[in-house]
Amino acid sequence: MTPLHFEKLYSAEWDELEAQLLRIMEGREKQRRGLEPVRGERVAELYRRACEHLALARARNYPRYLLDRLDRITADAHQVIYQHREYGLLRIKRAFLYGFPRAVRAHARYVWTSAALFFIPMLLVGWLVYERPDLILSVTSAEQAAGYEEMYSKAAESTRIRDAQTDWFAFGFYIRNNIGISFQCFAAGIVFGIGSMFFLVFNGVMIGAVAGYLTERGLSETFYSFVVTHGAFELTAIVLSGAAGLRLGQALVAPGRRTRIQSLTQAARETTVIIYGFVVMLLIAAAIEAFWSSARWIPLTIKYGVAALCWIGVLGYLTFQGRREN
Amino acid sequence: MLDSVVSAETPEGILLEMRPAGMSARFCAFVIDWLIRLAILYGAAFIAGILGGLGVGFWLILFFVLDWFYPVVFELRRGGATPGKKAMGLKVVMDNGLPVTPAAAITRNLLRFADFLPFLYGAAIVSMLVRADGKRLGDLTAATVVVHQPRPAPKATLDMVTPIAPVRPLSQRDQSAVIALAARAPTLTLERLDELALLAASVQGEAREPQEQVTRRVLGVAQWLLGRRS
Repeated sequence: MTPLHFEKLYSAEWDELEAQLLRIMEGREKQRRGLEPVRGERVAELYRRACEHLALARARNYPRYLLDRLDRITADAHQVIYQHREYGLLRIKRAFLYGFPRAVRAHARYVWTSAALFFIPMLLVGWLVYERPDLILSVTSAEQAAGYEEMYSKAAESTRIRDAQTDWFAFGFYIRNNIGISFQCFAAGIVFGIGSMFFLVFNGVMIGAVAGYLTERGLSETFYSFVVTHGAFELTAIVLSGAAGLRLGQALVAPGRRTRIQSLTQAARETTVIIYGFVVMLLIAAAIEAFWSSARWIPLTIKYGVAALCWIGVLGYLTFQGRREN
Repeated sequence: MLDSVVSAETPEGILLEMRPAGMSARFCAFVIDWLIRLAILYGAAFIAGILGGLGVGFWLILFFVLDWFYPVVFELRRGGATPGKKAMGLKVVMDNGLPVTPAAAITRNLLRFADFLPFLYGAAIVSMLVRADGKRLGDLTAATVVVHQPRPAPKATLDMVTPIAPVRPLSQRDQSAVIALAARAPTLTLERLDELALLAASVQGEAREPQEQVTRRVLGVAQWLLGRRS
């Protein structure tokens, strides 16, 4: 059969498939305008035919333009027929009812390692700086230290009450800063886990140093009442981002029976839901930090009460949510 | 092989051929996207300046979203390409030729940070140069690949040439070579066409004939092989 004969014989089918695909890809608006709906089984049938034709055309070395056309049609149809639809509220609901806490528990080893890398330097440096306040100068500059002190000083309490405008500024800043840091902490894990370790220890040291310094200065009341509520979400989220990063690193260091790239892909698939989870936690943290933590008119007892609820809520959610069968 | 085609097998047993994009095309796409983001941020900064604290807050959120999610949003749309990639004729697909899944789009774009290390996309450049399929770390992790959108090949319609039967039976390889030459004819200079036709002269007639004659006959054979008879 010559190429032209072949084309003449089957091009009607290809045209039909192309038209149907175009309609599917153009979306639903056009279907409402009285056009008859796309018939799925017909598309599948035409697609299978086109696959046969492509195989034949390749085996017979038909000219490039024919192969290209069949290539394009089959590739488009393949995309339309086999695509996953991962959107939808149901999926999001499932991720937060079961997927996220289960994934965290399934990676408990990484979560504990990450928590240790974050909290141990934090407590250690916090204690050191509390004992010898001048050590703060080895992690921040003198101006920054003075800035922290001023931020949480009792005098600031009465004079500087943030207005709504600054709250919104703070919200934007926390989102950009904190979520950015946790993304870096995750992504850097691909460097055999070393990157995540670095970010965890680094952030732990910084937070510990500032906390120790302010505690020594006698500002613990303003400082802890400020950080303790959103800390429930923020500190946990940083630990989780580090854990996800460590999982990537582990996949490269010890791929088991897979190739390193297969193992990396698998690790990324497992940790995606953890990423969704910690992003949401950081959004909550940013909102709390901007609009609740900074509100100084709220009595301390209420603040600590809410903080306790947040911590119990977050840890309880991660520990117990989704344990039963769906 | 010089050819960098990667193929994915479908359940129907055919191989989808994809042409991975190289570094230069991807770099140009990146620069276009970068300029677009820059323009948006500049425009937004103007408005934010007027609105004060609230505006700056939103500007920072916009900055964050553009920084991390600009490519995610565009790659999840139907074309699978950011404006820059679209301009360069590229798109992102999964290794198996399917559209990018949300999880993969997020993974490949979060790992952009790792690709940036140690500086100026160093890791990405090394990875793209070393691998035949031009993947950066984000692509490796998310199992995605950036490919060229297929461009339709020119159709061999040299209707003015009269079909001529070849003087001897031609193997399939020879047949497709002659047809491919005819398809490329409009894009070649006459001299080059003559040169190439001379190599195929044995399919019809003698190499001794004048150049024009040989070329005409080879193109005629191509028409005949395509299935034209008069």
